[in-house]
Amino acid sequence: MKGMRLFVTVLFILALIVTGCSKATPTPAPQPTKAEAAPAQQQAPEAKAKTLVLGFTASQTGKYAKESKEQTQGIQLWLKDLEKKGGLKLSDGTVVNFKVKYYDDESTKERVQQLYTKLITEDGADLLISPYSSGLTAAAAVIAEQYGKIMITTGAASDSIYKQGYKRVYQIYTPASRYLTGAVDALKAWDPNAKKVAVVYEKSKFATGVAKAVKAYAEKQGLEVVLFEGYEAGTTDFNPFINKIEAAKPDAIIGGGHFQDGSTFAKQLYEKKTPVKMVAILVAPAVPEFAELGDAAVGVIGPSQWESIAKYSPESAKAAGLTWCGPTIEEFVSGYKEAYGYEPGYHAAGGYAAGLVLERAIKMADSTDPDAITKALDAMDVMIFFGHIKFDTGEAHGLQIGHDMVYLQWQKKDGKVVREIVWPEAAKTADAIYPLER
Amino acid sequence: MMRYVRDPALWLTTLVVLVAGVWPLITRSATTREDMFLILMFVTLASSLNIVLGYTGYVNFGHIVFFGLGGYIGFYLIAEKGWHVIPAALAASLGVVLFAAILGGIILRLRGAYFALATIGVNEAVRSFIVNWDAVGGAVGMEMNFSRYQDYGGPMNALWFAYILLLIVTLASVLLSYFVRTSKFGLGLLAIREDEDAALVLGIPAPKAKTIAFALSAIFPAIVGTLFFFKNGNIEPGDAFRLHMSVEGIVMIMLGGYGTVMGPVVGAATYERLRGFLLTSPLFKNLQLAFAGVLLLLIIIFVPSGVVGWLRNRFPKVRRILA
Repeated sequence: MKGMRLFVTVLFILALIVTGCSKATPTPAPQPTKAEAAPAQQQAPEAKAKTLVLGFTASQTGKYAKESKEQTQGIQLWLKDLEKKGGLKLSDGTVVNFKVKYYDDESTKERVQQLYTKLITEDGADLLISPYSSGLTAAAAVIAEQYGKIMITTGAASDSIYKQGYKRVYQIYTPASRYLTGAVDALKAWDPNAKKVAVVYEKSKFATGVAKAVKAYAEKQGLEVVLFEGYEAGTTDFNPFINKIEAAKPDAIIGGGHFQDGSTFAKQLYEKKTPVKMVAILVAPAVPEFAELGDAAVGVIGPSQWESIAKYSPESAKAAGLTWCGPTIEEFVSGYKEAYGYEPGYHAAGGYAAGLVLERAIKMADSTDPDAITKALDAMDVMIFFGHIKFDTGEAHGLQIGHDMVYLQWQKKDGKVVREIVWPEAAKTADAIYPLER
Repeated sequence: MMRYVRDPALWLTTLVVLVAGVWPLITRSATTREDMFLILMFVTLASSLNIVLGYTGYVNFGHIVFFGLGGYIGFYLIAEKGWHVIPAALAASLGVVLFAAILGGIILRLRGAYFALATIGVNEAVRSFIVNWDAVGGAVGMEMNFSRYQDYGGPMNALWFAYILLLIVTLASVLLSYFVRTSKFGLGLLAIREDEDAALVLGIPAPKAKTIAFALSAIFPAIVGTLFFFKNGNIEPGDAFRLHMSVEGIVMIMLGGYGTVMGPVVGAATYERLRGFLLTSPLFKNLQLAFAGVLLLLIIIFVPSGVVGWLRNRFPKVRRILA
């Protein structure tokens, strides 16, 4: 009997804790939304003001923290620029403003789904931007699509997300399948006699996807892939691979993975004086620290989503028959430098571009209705500082088909190693070093 | 049988999980469901791990391999072979239990730090095997077509369905933990934990008992893996075999109370709630990891037996209802 009473008491306390916890946490979140939306309405009683909630998760901690921070800063700069303009004015006099809401996803998938659900159901997010990285974005897309929310993805290059039948997910980045295909085009253009390519890549989701696509593309272009070999993430000794490469005698080496392995690979290729005409490596050459390799960096080519020295401008848009919108590259770079004190890389540019594309879509739709915005995104075909933006509307709905990679090469100028864009022809800032002098 | 029906500890454990688990179903709130999904997932993982770690005294750092491998088998069957989630989860569970039984027979011969090291090795070995196996997507992983959710009445219903399945699995795993704890078999495990050689002398078939405990601890993580990746819509080696999650599981058990039935439940719920709260609170969201770390340190220094262990020691009467 005594045990029973104790049991009931404990049960009661536990019930209180459980219900207390469940109720206590959700309540604080929605309040600020209402509170901050209210003054905006009071300030402009004439024009109808509308505040849209823009939600996303940022990886403030975990393995993607560095890239995600840049991306978030890009989004915030876009928002600041929009606020400076006094919001987005529609033809019926409505002024659209955005309120950004974001949480830390710790670079993990569990958090992403939990937080995107929270953003949509509790914070009332109207529009979404993806987290950084393909893996996290794939998890977020399931939630976004389920609630019929529009999500612009940036920092997510994987192709497969767009083959899953999503209707409202749109990609800013050039997909992984086209990441290194430009290097093959460049090789063919620079040297019609080139025949053999070696593909050596890191066994990670992203690099494997890129490597498989470039192999298929090279073979289609009539090149022979003499070596197709993956290395484990975290590899520090590439000599076994370099020996295999030397035995296969390729004209070009294409591959890489992330910064650490890519730069080590480039360095060891240089030290062994591997006789190849071209080296194109993922990610690493696009990172400014790659310059620290000195002479080993010279001649190495790398794909980049965007470079501040790229030549996208209102004039080049006109030449291509496209509408230009948003700031110029110079405006974006100087704005970013002013706000954060250093030059933006492509992660930051991608964040800004995601916001800009949403802004442009609402403007085109002339409405905040999600269906109208979706239609506008489907029809979008513009040039912005980030490049050409156009989405696939067929089977791979939302896949980026307009934007192209630029290929930079580290070159030596006045004793200093500098990055120059060498491909495509339209964007190039210098002639490529080809073949490599080794 | 009557012994179990009359035991308030059994009823309390079941009710706690049930009340908390049914809460999102009553409120129909998707946010609560997502929060609860993670809590129940961790409760299941921690409760299963407790059978090996808490009862048998073997520190298993590779517990997550059951989750990852189960996730891979289940996801492959759903996404590539078009199976329904239930048979896929059961098949995953069966496969992983077999794997655990064979593996356990080999590595449970090791003791202490050697065993712990071997479990880390197993996790890494399986991960690297999957990375190199193209039939399951290799390093890229697999994705599931969004239309697959239509079989369950749309994506919204599919997520609720996955949640209900998870609730059933969590209940089952907590009950399994309870029955192991209160059975003669469980007493054997406790004896092994205290002194394996003495247990052998007393006639406990230690190698067999340890292997069974190891296999039992693999049943539910495999199902949870299938459900989790089904809900995610994609799977990658990096997410499936994250050593970090194994360590988190151990922390949850230590926090709640090592070797008790209720401990992992309380520990997992508290840990996950705390993290979830810190993550979204405006005050702490930028330093939530530091805050959580300090708090955990304090608990481990001052309450080493965990919340449930402390209650049991401090108030002996509570022992009747807190297993």
